[in-house]
Amino acid sequence: MSILTDISENLQKGKAKIVKELVQQAIDQGIPVEQILDEGLLAGMGVIGEKFKNNEVFVPEVLVAARAMNMGAALLKPLMAQAGVEAVGKVCIGTVKGDLHDIGKNLVKMMMEGKGLEVVDLGTDVAPETYVQTAIDQGCQIICCSALLTTTMGMMEEVVKKAEEAGIHGKVKIMVGGAPVTQTFCDQIGADCYTADAASAADAAVSICKASA
Amino acid sequence: MVTITVNGTACRAEAGARLMDCLPAHAAPEAPCGGAGRCGKCRVAARGVLSEPSPEELRALSAGELARGVRLACCARALGDCEVLTGTDAPAFILGESEALPAPAPMFRRAGAAVDVGTTTLAACLYGPDGALLAQAGKMNPQRRWGADVISRIEASRRGGGEELARAVRQGINELLAEMCAAAGLSAGAPDALVVTGNTAMLYLLTGSDPDCLAHAPFEAGRLFGETLAGGDLGLCCPGAAVYLPRCISAFVGADTATALLAAGLTGRRGVHLLADIGTNGEIVLWDGRQLSCCSTAAGPAFEGAGLSMGMPGKAGAVDHVTVKGGALSAHVLGGGEAEGICGSGVVDALACLLATGGLDESGLLDPEPASVCGKVRLTQKDVRAVQLAKSAVAAGLATLTQTAGLGFDRVESLSIAGGFGSYLDVKSAGAIGLIPKELVPRTRILGNAALRGAAMLLLNSGLHAPCEKTARRAVTIDLASSKVFFSAYTGCMFF
Repeated sequence: MSILTDISENLQKGKAKIVKELVQQAIDQGIPVEQILDEGLLAGMGVIGEKFKNNEVFVPEVLVAARAMNMGAALLKPLMAQAGVEAVGKVCIGTVKGDLHDIGKNLVKMMMEGKGLEVVDLGTDVAPETYVQTAIDQGCQIICCSALLTTTMGMMEEVVKKAEEAGIHGKVKIMVGGAPVTQTFCDQIGADCYTADAASAADAAVSICKASA
Repeated sequence: MVTITVNGTACRAEAGARLMDCLPAHAAPEAPCGGAGRCGKCRVAARGVLSEPSPEELRALSAGELARGVRLACCARALGDCEVLTGTDAPAFILGESEALPAPAPMFRRAGAAVDVGTTTLAACLYGPDGALLAQAGKMNPQRRWGADVISRIEASRRGGGEELARAVRQGINELLAEMCAAAGLSAGAPDALVVTGNTAMLYLLTGSDPDCLAHAPFEAGRLFGETLAGGDLGLCCPGAAVYLPRCISAFVGADTATALLAAGLTGRRGVHLLADIGTNGEIVLWDGRQLSCCSTAAGPAFEGAGLSMGMPGKAGAVDHVTVKGGALSAHVLGGGEAEGICGSGVVDALACLLATGGLDESGLLDPEPASVCGKVRLTQKDVRAVQLAKSAVAAGLATLTQTAGLGFDRVESLSIAGGFGSYLDVKSAGAIGLIPKELVPRTRILGNAALRGAAMLLLNSGLHAPCEKTARRAVTIDLASSKVFFSAYTGCMFF
């Protein structure tokens, strides 16, 4: 099935237009949408994610690859809905209140989408109650909080508290990350998962969603 | 209480206290990450009744180091009596201007001092009423033990350390004043006027103001200075001296940028000019012939040598310059001895050389990895990624200001580089790695410590205070975090 390999390889190079054309060809050839997604788009993003984790590629390569993936995925989305294909899981993500940095958060989002997760992006400067309300309203299994400043990461504790108050913590897992965050901090505030980089965050999110499925 | 013997001297501490919190200031290791267990730089040798190594220590320290009793001072806790050894090498510093300045209207009669409170270093000059430079001195900012960057310091202040942080920097200034006055044959109380410049957070911490507003969105500074206090208000050794704090531009862009602008003489010139002060934060200002716009970009500590596997400050043992000779890298080591690490200017050169020899490709991939620079000094792939983030932050800041003003780099007539790191920077290497735009390399000039020079100009000419404040008031600060132009420039500039 060389067209799927072609999709994966062009996606890794960030060739968005070619990826889009190849995905359309694959659909026209009658290849099942789930297979195009798994063996084409997600396989390519998986390679990029692994290379990113090993420092072999950097932020710009991830951004162009993610753009190519999104263009291909846009063609598949309506067909997947028709075929009743479900996402691996659903996550809401945002940078905490008081913090406007979104590059790291965007990377995590792309990596998660690259693993087949559905991601609700709440943007930056997100209030604790917004995370919790979104998780309830949209049925997310995971709340993901990002912070770049030591002065704003304390806000993550508020997210955990709000989730406790709403009675969803446990059912909804809370992941934390960002430059100043450590495993010790994660444990201290009672969050469920910390990862040091975007690719590991996506892997961890997939395990959490599979465990709760 | 337990007894901790630090470099042979016993001191008492609460059982369970972190080593970092028990060490006397002169023995405390540097903590670039503010003691959060992330940077692994606060290594000490410790034995006795100590806590088990934390997850952060297990990550940062090799099995061999752990076996030898190496610990991170920010993680290890004294549970009983113990013994600690720390490095004691005195840090290097960067001095300011060396020539006399015109003194048309000095703020003082006997002697006056200009002081630049940098996040990393303090630098000062002592002048006589005729504008003659009597002495100069520099030292590391004593607040470094609370972290290398502004945010760690603000966080320490918010946790109740504000008074201690203020005391530390005031003590540092007093030491500089005492040293300079002694060199000039004056008593330490002799200066009757001071100008103290610095970034907004440094002036907040110096004056004991609550810096909370500087630490989170919407980042609005309640106090921008442009005011005169008495030396006694700041606990200085010259209590009667008038201490002028120049006006800051915004929460992100401080009085140091305002005084650097004054020294660079940017405003009032014809044409389009850029000024960049490159350090842990890069402050960038654009004068488009009519108005000033500025931004602050988080370059991180890579250019200060921190955050790199073999990074170190620019002192003896640091590789500070690298060239290509016969197809291979040839390094210069400060002090001439064996290379122990690499400082900011050395890293920029090394990457430029590796690009030229093919050891580094345009995406930032090293082959072979790690790349050997000199002796045991090498750069890892992770180091290159840290520099890519740092250089891209500066380059994207320059691009964002220029594009936001509707201009291209072809219209920019000059780029002035200020700051300690900038003084040692090889402009061609900076262009080669894309820290500054290639087309601006021939029009780039190095200013040295322009912030300190500007402060000295204010000290020697009271008539400049009002214009300097007016400039600061008129400058427009552009918030990069929410700028779409910045985001696309930031990712684009990461390549080489």
